[in-house]
Amino acid sequence: MPHHDHDHAHPHPPIVNKPDPVPGYYEIMETAVRELLVEKQLLGAGEIRRQIEVLDSRTPALGAKVVARAWVDPDFRARLLADGRAACEEFGISFYDDTRLIVLENTERVHNLIVCTLCSCYPRPVLGLPPDWYKAKPYRARAVKEPRAVLAEFGTTIPDDVEVRVSDSTAMVRYLVLPQRPAGTDGCTEEQLASLVTRDAMIGVITLNPERETVP
Amino acid sequence: MNQSENLLKLLPNDIGGLPADRVERIDHLLEPWEKRCHALADVLDFHKIINTEEKRRGVEALGSEMIGKLSYYERWIAVFAIILFQKGVLTPDELARKMDVVAARSAANEPEKVCQ
Repeated sequence: MPHHDHDHAHPHPPIVNKPDPVPGYYEIMETAVRELLVEKQLLGAGEIRRQIEVLDSRTPALGAKVVARAWVDPDFRARLLADGRAACEEFGISFYDDTRLIVLENTERVHNLIVCTLCSCYPRPVLGLPPDWYKAKPYRARAVKEPRAVLAEFGTTIPDDVEVRVSDSTAMVRYLVLPQRPAGTDGCTEEQLASLVTRDAMIGVITLNPERETVP
Repeated sequence: MNQSENLLKLLPNDIGGLPADRVERIDHLLEPWEKRCHALADVLDFHKIINTEEKRRGVEALGSEMIGKLSYYERWIAVFAIILFQKGVLTPDELARKMDVVAARSAANEPEKVCQ
């Protein structure tokens, strides 16, 4: 059974995936619950598979496209900051859940960081599923108390004269960070800009450091 | 604040601000059943059978020992079963019987019905 008896509050090696041909207790429970709900016609046959396809279609590349559009289109940026969900929907990204999206803009004066202290709320329609570290105790517990120390563990140093704002997500309200556009990207196309934007920059644990990026 | 007051004020999920270890950048690719479990959560929400906040409170109600010992999606499926019992959608007996059927089917190496 993968992760049996793990509390995920202790260090792991970075990507762990163990082949597990024999279904364990919880996998059997998942199959049994799902089949019973289908037999009772509470869920339609195929709905789970279709939702898996939706989940697979959501990756940080979508959020990166939103960010790049906001960088090149000031009107879109204004709409995105006014109502993140409406602007993303206008951009063609459907929201399969009943959540509000607030987009937080990083500036010369403010750096934003998002967290969910209570569980694992995350802007899934635009970023996909959160990484394990986002759901684990160290990040959830410490991001709201000592964000600069947490940022340092990601190799990020925010100057003292820049305010660090931490936004705590809920079941109904999710956040997305709009990173600052890297310097030296004036000649980039929107597509090239999108390729510079990473998941961690949209969570706010890193900045898009121009010194580290190769700009075409 | 004495220890019992702390327990009351900080439920198991409410860990924002507590001391904790260094952040390790852990991640894993979801197992197929974990992804199905996530999709099940979304579909249960669409049908207004179990919403996100009910699920979160259900995880909290598992208590800190189970929260500590079950993995993320193990907690989810356990909570779905408990809430479905509470709402009278499923009974513990029928789930137990179905789990026996699924386990027997797996042992016999029959292909799993991913989505009927």
